[in-house]
Amino acid sequence: MTKNHVTATVNGDVVEFLCETHQTLLEVLRDELGLTGTKEGCGTGDCGACSVTIDGRLMCSCLVLGVEADGKAIQTIEGMAVGTALHSLQRKFLEHAALQCGICTPGILIAARSLLERNPDPTEEEVRYWLAGNLCRCTGYHKIVDAVLDAAREIRGG
Amino acid sequence: MNSENHTRHGSQVTGVKAPARVVFTGDFSDRYTGGVKEFEIEAKNLRGVIKTLDELYPGLGEHLEKETTVAIDGEIHEVGYYQPVRPGCEIFFIPKIEGG
Amino acid sequence: MSATITSGKKKLKLVGTRPVRPDGVPKVTGLARFGADYSLPGMLWGKILRSPHAHARIRSIDTSKAQALPGVKAVITSADLPEQEFEYVGPERVAVNFWHMTRNIMAREKVLYEGHAVAAVAAISRTVADEALRLIKVDYEVLPHVINVEEAMQPDAPLLFEDMITRGVEPAPNKPSNISKRIELKIGDLEAGFAAADEIVEGSFKTAPVHQGYIEPQACLARFDPDGQAELWASSQGHFVIRALTARLLGMDIGNLRVYPAEIGGGFGGKNVPYVEPVALALSRKSGHPVKIVMSREEVFKACGPAPGSSMTVRIGVRKDGKIVAADGLFKFQAGAVPGSPVMNACMCAFSPYDIPNVRTVGYDVVCNRPKTAAYRAPGSPISAYAVENVIDMVAARIGMDPLRFRLENIARPGTPTVSGPKHTHEGFAETIQALMQHPGYTAPLGKNQGRGFASGYWFNNGGESSAAVHVNEDGTVLVATGSADLSGTRASIALMAAETLGIDYDKVRPIVADTASIGYSHISAGSRTTFATGIAVVDACKKVIGDLCARAAMIWDVNAEDVVWEDGCARCTGNKAGECEPLSLKAIAAKRSVTGGPIVAEVSVNAGGVAPGFATEFCDVEVDPETGAVKVLRFVAAQDVGRAIHPAYVEGQIQGGAAQGIGWALNEEYIYDEAGRLTNAGFLDYRVPVASDLPRIEAVLVEVLNPNHPFGAKGVGEANIVPSLAAVANAVSRAIGRRMTELPMSPPKILKAVNGEQ
Repeated sequence: MTKNHVTATVNGDVVEFLCETHQTLLEVLRDELGLTGTKEGCGTGDCGACSVTIDGRLMCSCLVLGVEADGKAIQTIEGMAVGTALHSLQRKFLEHAALQCGICTPGILIAARSLLERNPDPTEEEVRYWLAGNLCRCTGYHKIVDAVLDAAREIRGG
Repeated sequence: MNSENHTRHGSQVTGVKAPARVVFTGDFSDRYTGGVKEFEIEAKNLRGVIKTLDELYPGLGEHLEKETTVAIDGEIHEVGYYQPVRPGCEIFFIPKIEGG
Repeated sequence: MSATITSGKKKLKLVGTRPVRPDGVPKVTGLARFGADYSLPGMLWGKILRSPHAHARIRSIDTSKAQALPGVKAVITSADLPEQEFEYVGPERVAVNFWHMTRNIMAREKVLYEGHAVAAVAAISRTVADEALRLIKVDYEVLPHVINVEEAMQPDAPLLFEDMITRGVEPAPNKPSNISKRIELKIGDLEAGFAAADEIVEGSFKTAPVHQGYIEPQACLARFDPDGQAELWASSQGHFVIRALTARLLGMDIGNLRVYPAEIGGGFGGKNVPYVEPVALALSRKSGHPVKIVMSREEVFKACGPAPGSSMTVRIGVRKDGKIVAADGLFKFQAGAVPGSPVMNACMCAFSPYDIPNVRTVGYDVVCNRPKTAAYRAPGSPISAYAVENVIDMVAARIGMDPLRFRLENIARPGTPTVSGPKHTHEGFAETIQALMQHPGYTAPLGKNQGRGFASGYWFNNGGESSAAVHVNEDGTVLVATGSADLSGTRASIALMAAETLGIDYDKVRPIVADTASIGYSHISAGSRTTFATGIAVVDACKKVIGDLCARAAMIWDVNAEDVVWEDGCARCTGNKAGECEPLSLKAIAAKRSVTGGPIVAEVSVNAGGVAPGFATEFCDVEVDPETGAVKVLRFVAAQDVGRAIHPAYVEGQIQGGAAQGIGWALNEEYIYDEAGRLTNAGFLDYRVPVASDLPRIEAVLVEVLNPNHPFGAKGVGEANIVPSLAAVANAVSRAIGRRMTELPMSPPKILKAVNGEQ
């Protein structure tokens, strides 16, 4: 079968790749582009481990086809730090021990950043509801919420 | 303590006073010792205990080594030959347990 | 948010602090490599064909069309794996009857559950592999199936193994059944005990099977070279155990298999055993290429081991003054397709929190047509604790005693016998209850439709084999290598313990998890053993290094070795020449290593004993919506005796995570089968684990009663926290609605039924 040629921007860089029509963006990111930071936890859009943003919109990359990425700007976890400078969220997650096994962490960081871009001063409840689409089985979410609120404070300049 | 289930044996080590009370938890006593679950054994370390038991019931020694954990006066240990056995202590061989 | 209550403390500089974990940056930047993140040139994709039937005989498997499909490089069935001897060896729950294990990896005569692996292919792409699976023709003779544990125990139930005779019953039954084993433990005189009771309370309870719910599906990359040497990159809780089991299943020497530990995305016991590794290796062996297999979430639910469902009855007799005089527990556990549920653990743990002179526990391990159970966080104990702690709650209410006070009156202390015989030797149980009694939430008022539930729980914890190597680098930094998979931040604790022992900065110690060819044998990271047993190995190796450093210093100063001590990270001279000799730091001695004998390295292996058990007491406040049956958890407080928290943030994290899993287990999680025995909720939408908006802040109260058998007093912490959590939630719900709930999960429809007085 003939593959599709797709051009997109990933983490600010223009990329081109080939993919079969039925391949998801998640598969493409991991297997064609070698960006394995985005994880597959369920393949059905229920766990959020594959969270990316597409043209600024938070989405599960397992629910998007690779061909749909054509002409779009995708942000993955690999683009979150700027050079060697970790994002506030990344630093706060480390400080607060907001990760244990770390498999959900890339997805949660992408989702949390998306929240803070829209709502720089969320309440705890708002954080919990925004992150309801990102499953974590290790932490009980407690320290994740602490880290997000602390990062929000830091970004606001508090 | 039923006297039918309780026997006393010594190892070759001399000079050891009060024997250790050795008890099996689990059904391996049915498989190896015909239901006898309690023993009094004189030994300096676990190796002596296991050796004595294996002499009485051939094959039991290997089973104890592979399939049990030992509690000596309540303190749980992996079965190790040189685990010291104090005079008069209580030794329980319990089924090996593993976590998740 | 968390409190630490400590009795007896040594002054420590690093242990007990909260530095950033050394492996953290790769995990927050997406660079850490988990099981599915590895690739090799020429790699093939492996996929597994799974049974659509819950129970069927395999008449034939025709793989010819699949083999002929272009792009397919190998197709395997059980014929490609050697047969194994039928023999129960070792601790049954870990399924070391290889006859059963090889059949669970790939079916032989029968398929025993929907999702049971039947064949596998390796192809140049996932698409081709999928197509190849569709071309494999399996001729099944569908058989009646049975799943529920009570149904599976019936004399006329469909049999999974026509020759299964229940073990542990004298005389042995003359008819086969699905009951693999009966266990009975007892101490004292049960009849006399109950005769002396003023009140006897009995309750029957059921739990549904639940999955550990790790977010990372099983995955591995395997490479089997034509000379018989093989490599495996896999995420697991123990690469040495994976190596041993996989090598046996493939009929190869252990020494020919090298397993590299990938980062692991959650395990909780479910990744103690292999699933895809033997299949990937067999495909690689046959095809001559590396093979990668990644399970889908659906496959994880359908084929990987869950915790068992259960049916239980518990009876407790108590005197008016609150003393428990007798206890009797019956525990029937689903083993799944082959024997090995954790019912023995349940029997041993169920009443262990309490000082009861007359106790009996009876357990049944029952096979049924669903995946074989695997360990799940203190396996067996949360389930038996659910039943026991419910009855404890009922007894306390019956005699009008406060539930925490009642537990405290009967709590086990050193010297209290357990049902398996040995006496308790460690303190710490009562302290967790006392910690909660001092918590402000204990007496906080409750509103309408709200209830507060209490529970305690016990877990043995494990010791066992661990290895650690300490290398002093030329510039005085230190490498600490262990063989313990890091599930949750143990590398941070290892670095803290090593740095504390050596007296150097935390940042000068780099911990790694070494592969099977690079470090001595290390048992699985499970059973809450890593900080305990691997910690002992690490500290012992550091002490060996310190001995060596002192000897080198003696050479440098030209003094006797006995005149050198190690203090605050330096060798210091005592004795006559003390005044002349400036202290030598680790860095200074490292610089002189060549002239004083060569590299400074030590490796230690231990088989750690003297394990202190885990204990936790918890309370939970809930509010039940009487119109929908939905339960909101308002508050959850867990006090656990952790010995000493090496890294308190990760210890709190364990407690919070265990509580969260317990809440899910109690309120929502279960496997739902259709009438054909097929799983209908094999995904995270309908297998509903707690999400961020479901949970409150979970307060972890760290009680520190030092363990004398660990250099820093640590006790295993990972598991004990989940043990009481099912019952804490259940008791809260029961009190909120004024009716005892006796089945888990307490999902909204069930609560509505209870609230409306239906049965």
